Amino acid sequence: MGRVLRVDLSAGACRPLDLPDAATLRRLWGGQALATYMLLRLLPLDARALGPENVIVMMTGPITGTGLTPGGTKVCGVFLSPITGYTLGRAATSGFWAVALKAAGYDGLIITGVAARPTYLYLTDGRAELRDAAGVWGLGTRETEDRLRREVGRPDARVACIGPAGEHQALAAMLVNDYNHTAAHGLGAVMGSKRLKAIVAHGTGRPPLHDKPHLLAAGERWRTVLAPRAYTPELRRQNPGFGKVWGALTKYNWRSTIMSDETRGFDRNRVTLRPCFQCPRLCPWDVEIGEGPHAGTTGHFNAGSEWMDAFYNLGFKGNDVLYLAERINDIGIECGHFSNSAALAFEAWEKGLLGPDRTDGLALEWGDLAVTERLLERCARREGWLGNLLAEGPKALAEALGGEARQWAVHTKGGSPAQHDWRPRIADMLANLVASGGMKGQGGFENREPPADLRYRERWGPLDPATPEGWARSHFLLEQLHQACGVMGGCWFAVETFLADDQARSMIEALNATTGWDVTLDEALEVGHRSIVLQGLFATQRGWRAEHDWTDVGPRFLEPVPDGPHQGFTVARWLPGLVQEYYRLSGRHEVSGRPLPSTLARLGLTEFAEWAEPA
Amino acid sequence: MSLLPGVAPAPVERRPYPTARGLDGEARTILFDAAKCIGCRQCVEACKDWHDLPRGETYRIGATTWLTVEPPVPEGMARIWGRNSCMHCDHPSCAAVCPVEAITKLDEGPVVIVQSACIGCQYCVHACPWHVIAINPVTGRAIKCTMCHDRLGQGAVPFCVRICPVDALHFGPGAEMEARADTLAGEGGGSVYGRREAGGTRVLHVLVGSAAAHGLPAVGSGRYPVHRIPWSTTLRGLLTLTGGPRGKWRAIQSAWRKPWRLKYRYWPR
Repeated sequence: MGRVLRVDLSAGACRPLDLPDAATLRRLWGGQALATYMLLRLLPLDARALGPENVIVMMTGPITGTGLTPGGTKVCGVFLSPITGYTLGRAATSGFWAVALKAAGYDGLIITGVAARPTYLYLTDGRAELRDAAGVWGLGTRETEDRLRREVGRPDARVACIGPAGEHQALAAMLVNDYNHTAAHGLGAVMGSKRLKAIVAHGTGRPPLHDKPHLLAAGERWRTVLAPRAYTPELRRQNPGFGKVWGALTKYNWRSTIMSDETRGFDRNRVTLRPCFQCPRLCPWDVEIGEGPHAGTTGHFNAGSEWMDAFYNLGFKGNDVLYLAERINDIGIECGHFSNSAALAFEAWEKGLLGPDRTDGLALEWGDLAVTERLLERCARREGWLGNLLAEGPKALAEALGGEARQWAVHTKGGSPAQHDWRPRIADMLANLVASGGMKGQGGFENREPPADLRYRERWGPLDPATPEGWARSHFLLEQLHQACGVMGGCWFAVETFLADDQARSMIEALNATTGWDVTLDEALEVGHRSIVLQGLFATQRGWRAEHDWTDVGPRFLEPVPDGPHQGFTVARWLPGLVQEYYRLSGRHEVSGRPLPSTLARLGLTEFAEWAEPA
Repeated sequence: MSLLPGVAPAPVERRPYPTARGLDGEARTILFDAAKCIGCRQCVEACKDWHDLPRGETYRIGATTWLTVEPPVPEGMARIWGRNSCMHCDHPSCAAVCPVEAITKLDEGPVVIVQSACIGCQYCVHACPWHVIAINPVTGRAIKCTMCHDRLGQGAVPFCVRICPVDALHFGPGAEMEARADTLAGEGGGSVYGRREAGGTRVLHVLVGSAAAHGLPAVGSGRYPVHRIPWSTTLRGLLTLTGGPRGKWRAIQSAWRKPWRLKYRYWPR
């Protein structure tokens, strides 16, 4: 550990590099912040997302793999997003793979170039080897994992891989690891463009710990905070997804939100929780479907539930949803991107804008399982006119369909928001609008009051969910905390909204015990802020402006909620003011999105002064 | 001498290994409830974390993995899971065969290999009915689960028990754990493993299938089950300076002072 492996796929060479100096690590910690900082130095300004010049930087954080805290499982990959083509691609994942990467001896990876043939990277105890992936090229992610474990002769090796969607460079192709885990925002497409099928890691190394007793104590505190929030199989059998919290699901291309019998048949399923490495939150889960035509089918799911909303949005309910979710994870496409593209096609078919001449004879009826499976396959392999556009995404499909279809699209800067009907929730809408286009928004979550451990400096609330006042601040604070959590190697699901007492403090104590630092909560917010600004700087260098956040949005995403308890609600009436307030709060210009010189100075990022907003 | 007239004192059992009292003398038991286990292996990694053992090799008992969850497939890939580690026998064969009495049975339950005393002869490795003792390739000494006896002194439970996220592991006084095991087995239609095996152990498993289905061997109820220490191991122990001159001298001293112990090593029933 203490090393980053630089992999030049073109040359077939691997070279270990030292981590940056201690001062840089203290400023950036790891994860997204450190990876973005490295990417900013490595990536040419004229790089194309799917060209050989794109670079993937993947970084763990200090607490990744210590085993003594909840949520110490994260690795974050950054790259030029193939979805937007000009903003930061950010793909974070949990499970076990990041722990294995560290155990193999590496805190991170820098992947450059293009392999001459399908390749996988095998890492074990300080050794790195590029191997022929011809035997697994074309396979789904499940079979790829199993085969590569056998091939390396390590049944407990951890595999992160792409499926057919990545190989064919479907823009929202995912990296899939440890069966249940996915990293979105197009990392799979970039790997596919580099002919990198998988990264297999195995090793015996342990991350360095500065003060183990201190870390044990901090971990115990963190566990205590988290204990009441652990998932149960019963919850998974009853829950239609996150939208249940506020009473809205995405249905029929966001034209309905009303929950009905979406969970029908779930009570007959066998559910097994499949927690991430040493985390007691127990988010991921497996299912064995217990009824209907899919009886006996198994599925492996992640913490969130976007993949449920993704298929409600196409007219499915019950175990069809779980069946399709397993299929899309095996194929390796981010669910929201596919859902919003396919739902747009379904709506266009319904309204006569799309006919069988462009669907290769498929009749796009809502809730047709066979048709949806065919579309998944076509999207993954870019087959036909429609398959290729599904792979490009909802914005491209809307443009190709033309006419009114542009009004029916849901996207943010060409990417898909995390697939929940956020429209009734001000902070979550803001989080998705200002995210990097198809990137999971960080922050949001409707914190009506400040995170409990920040009461010493934050005195506001409770906020009114029906008016915009205060929500930009609420979002920005949580975004900083989520960023801090992520860059230290922690998972948001192990901290959630930070509303509980001692959540933020125990998290930071764990970081200090691991590293020997004396980070305060104020400093944690600053590190989160630094990561946010670096993310924006990357996009600024490539032409992004803040105004794109409210101008380059699929109109349906900003329409009033069509029905249900939030009918008529929309944040559109407060745009662009809401977004502009957020940029002002984060020390950036409200239209250009560029950081102010004073912001760069305060965050120690003056080396990027040429990209600051001119005084 | 008995304090009660006419009642003979209970004979003090002669144990072929050292015993010691670490705390209060009350025997503790680990209870594994297979019905609750989800195969996440957090117990396996917790064991490594507490004892600073290297990561990896998580599917195979060895010097760096003192606890495994069976079968050796990725989490989520099996329906029935088993726990495989030291059973902390009430009458530990490993300790009985140790030529230098390096393995101590604590009254509180743990069977502990005293690293500084071990000479690495491997008798214990072969005598263990559960095959859960390994030789540390760095030190050349035998090593296995300690029941986190260092934590017990702090009033804490073994770290595997503490970390289990689904309450599949419990720890407490033996009688309490036995009663709980019976209750759980009764409720789930399962069976209890470890109560009678090898004359009794300090790890009880509430099984939902056969012992074999949980990756556990069939072990008879007699104390000190018959073992098969290979002749090569025996001859090496007899004819070479295993453990160096001091180790050999300690073995000779033990055999001289307690020749009755030799039967456990050389003439198992």
